[in-house]
Amino acid sequence: MQDALLDGLRGVVGPANVRTGIELGPWVVEGRTPDAAVFPASTEEVAGVVALAAEADVPVVPWGGGTAAAVGSPAARTGLVLGLSRMSRLVEHEPGDLTATVEAGITVAALQAALAGRGQWLSLDPPDAERATLGGVLAADASGPRRHLYGTARDLLIGVAVVTAEGAFVRGGGKVVKNVAGYDLPKLFIGSYGTLGVVVEATLRLRPLPEAERLVGVSFDRLKDAGAAVRALLASDLIPNAVELLDGAAAAALGAGVAPGAALVVGFDGLEEQVAWQCEELARLCAPLGGREARALPPETWPRLAPAARAALGLPAATMTLTVLPMQVAETMEQGANAARARGFVTAWAAHAGVGVVSAALAAEPAPPGPLAAVLAEWREMAHAGGGQATLEWAPLAVKAQVPVWDDPGAAGRLMQGIKRELDPRNILNPGRFVAGI
Amino acid sequence: MAVLTESRKASLRRELEAIVGAGAVLADPDELLVYESDGLTLLRALADFVVFPVSAEQVSALVRLANRESLPFVARGAGTGLSGGCLPAEGGLVISLMRMNRVLEVDYDNQLAVVEPGLVNLHLSWTVGARGYYYAPDPSSQQACTLGGNIANNSGGPHTLKYGVTTNHVLGLEVVLPDGEIVWLGGRTRARAGYDLVGVFVGSEGTFGIATKIVVRLLRKPPAVKTVLAVFDAIDHASAAVSAIIARGLVPAAVEMIDQLTIQAVEDAFGCGYPRDAAAALLVELDGLPFGMEAQAARIVQACRDAGAREVRTARDEAERQLLWKGRKSAFGAYGRISPAYMVMDGVIPRTKLPYVLRRVNEIVAAHGLRVGNVFHAGDGNLHPNILYDPRRPGEEARVVAAGAAIMRLCAEVGGSISGEHGIGLEKSDFMPLIFSAADLALMQRLKRAFNPTGLCNPGKIFPTSKSCAEVGPVASRPHAIEEKGLAQRF
Repeated sequence: MQDALLDGLRGVVGPANVRTGIELGPWVVEGRTPDAAVFPASTEEVAGVVALAAEADVPVVPWGGGTAAAVGSPAARTGLVLGLSRMSRLVEHEPGDLTATVEAGITVAALQAALAGRGQWLSLDPPDAERATLGGVLAADASGPRRHLYGTARDLLIGVAVVTAEGAFVRGGGKVVKNVAGYDLPKLFIGSYGTLGVVVEATLRLRPLPEAERLVGVSFDRLKDAGAAVRALLASDLIPNAVELLDGAAAAALGAGVAPGAALVVGFDGLEEQVAWQCEELARLCAPLGGREARALPPETWPRLAPAARAALGLPAATMTLTVLPMQVAETMEQGANAARARGFVTAWAAHAGVGVVSAALAAEPAPPGPLAAVLAEWREMAHAGGGQATLEWAPLAVKAQVPVWDDPGAAGRLMQGIKRELDPRNILNPGRFVAGI
Repeated sequence: MAVLTESRKASLRRELEAIVGAGAVLADPDELLVYESDGLTLLRALADFVVFPVSAEQVSALVRLANRESLPFVARGAGTGLSGGCLPAEGGLVISLMRMNRVLEVDYDNQLAVVEPGLVNLHLSWTVGARGYYYAPDPSSQQACTLGGNIANNSGGPHTLKYGVTTNHVLGLEVVLPDGEIVWLGGRTRARAGYDLVGVFVGSEGTFGIATKIVVRLLRKPPAVKTVLAVFDAIDHASAAVSAIIARGLVPAAVEMIDQLTIQAVEDAFGCGYPRDAAAALLVELDGLPFGMEAQAARIVQACRDAGAREVRTARDEAERQLLWKGRKSAFGAYGRISPAYMVMDGVIPRTKLPYVLRRVNEIVAAHGLRVGNVFHAGDGNLHPNILYDPRRPGEEARVVAAGAAIMRLCAEVGGSISGEHGIGLEKSDFMPLIFSAADLALMQRLKRAFNPTGLCNPGKIFPTSKSCAEVGPVASRPHAIEEKGLAQRF
């Protein structure tokens, strides 16, 4: 990296906020070391950094808590890590409006703590809340079990402020909960993995904290029966806020004394009497389908649900997310496990079953890249056969070389490339990491 | 663009008929008149043709023909829009989707349906209602408006307070892009690889293409519903009650406000049981589990009483509930009996600003020598001041437009938006600089270019006509570009 650029960056953010050389360890991704890591403290500084990088034709990698830094295709070129950790303020919280505006670098945990003090919360529960930042959660479209009732970032983000690839400051959406003025720019940036702009500020809709919340685990001998219970639950009058289906391995990793076979873990919130009644109804509904002992799980179980498949295998050889129709979840888990077992792999599975999002992890000792790639390709085929999709969340580079991280978006890919060209004509924002070569 | 010659028009008509059939092309001026405006009758413009395709392939062929001829084209549903969004801005083709109105598939287990764009919103809920499901977004025009139109405008409705607007209920779209290519955005499953193209398409007001199939979520009907009517002697007290309900951690399915002028109009017309002497009424609906419903209703009642309600009552049965909702949903019809015309505004404000803004709205309209009726989604701060006027009285339209502009400016000043659910269309395009900077609009233009590089797909909408976006505070009486060209009139 040219010294002139480094000097320029130091001029923008101050010398103490530019890291180089051996200081760059925390930002090494898949063995690639960035050229520098820069930490601006304001929107103006972000704009200054991006403008300098654009001028020097050096890629910019927006960085929040780094929890999803290894998701995506291996970057085409190294560049600057643009860390947002110094921009972590809760800018505005108006409880009467049920909205809050935050800087992108605030962690999910810090935001929730501040909101809880006033009886409210952001109804989004991605994993790693202590590290994950709002900007990163938006960029990666991260979510958790409560998405069953409350949706994902696209249902909660009402306004966004972005520094563009040219260093311009742009706002989309607004500060009110209902708004159709102009194009829905907040949607564009959710799940865009930092390829269209650097999100510096977000305005979110909030909810009042529920009076009561409980998590119930029901054990099943067979995954199939737990799947039937999901069907019955979704067709019932109950209003769960989470519907999680776990295979034996993932259930065991929850450490909640759930028996092998499979577990259906269901959350309820609301008034105490509503929660209590629904927990009893759930047990009644599951019993004839083979559900044994519905037991209350401690609140600490919540954050362990989404990463349960990965955690079950300790250090998995790869993890994949399959998105299928809700009624295909149990069968997908079963078939996927069989396909992997046939090639000598053990697997663990956990799903947000009500919305059809399945996480799978696999391991073997040793894990030969060839068969590993073959299993992952089979899983992807399985998802596609049912009209779904698959994303390779994590795998060694040797496997990524054989199995694409992202699905081919088909004809829509041309539109996506067009949007990228319009918003980042010099291709400096996270180049090569996303779908369709973006 | 140039006006089509008669011979050119005749040959184009033959080509259009070859695509959609002889009975599916309108070209006679008196037939075209029906399609010259939408629900905002202030703006009118004539197309060269109105065509009625029945498939995505036909839509695609029409769009390709329009491209070949450099003819602008615009999709149209039931024409209930309120911002001139489906007006043929500069002649060309109106592509009506009204013959594509089928429910193609209902998957109850996975709680989704695949429908065509011309399907009437309420007809979907009727179709799936017997099995205990419904489609949540419920615009007040839901008996007439189509799902395709809802997609274009990202339509809302009273129950969007709890359940969200159209975009929160759309999983996938088959779309004919502005160049005629047919693509799928999203699908039946939740996440897809890549940018959220469904998210940006919904609410793009027909400028990104034409949806030909729509995958929507269906919800289970709530097992219990409770509707509360709170009556106030002061409009400020009703506004305060809205904040009090939110502050107590309650999330009703709907919180609607109806003011005195509207109550009287509704009672004269339909007799729905609202007290005629009330300054304002709140219609609050709770839904969900039967368990706990009484406790929540009691809190709503208390919040309203504490805010100064003189009377709070709960609908005793479904018939009374329907009657109360009839009063709310037929307010627009009732205005027709007390005024020859009215213009609906659609600003949104932070909920906490409600008392101040409502006072100012009434002052602004009075200062323009006009009357206003307010009936709106108070729970999410989406105002609908309806400015009553008589188009036959000279100068009155200009005052309506000026008062409307002042209200939009007010909404922007308190940190709100100029449209909550009706869209920008032609009506509000010049007011976009009130809430967006030149850079914001430039980014939106880039996004538009990625979908619609020629600009032939629904031209003239959303973006301000003024060359200088920095010119904040547009002159409302200034003619729109298409008026200057004599292609449209503001009645």
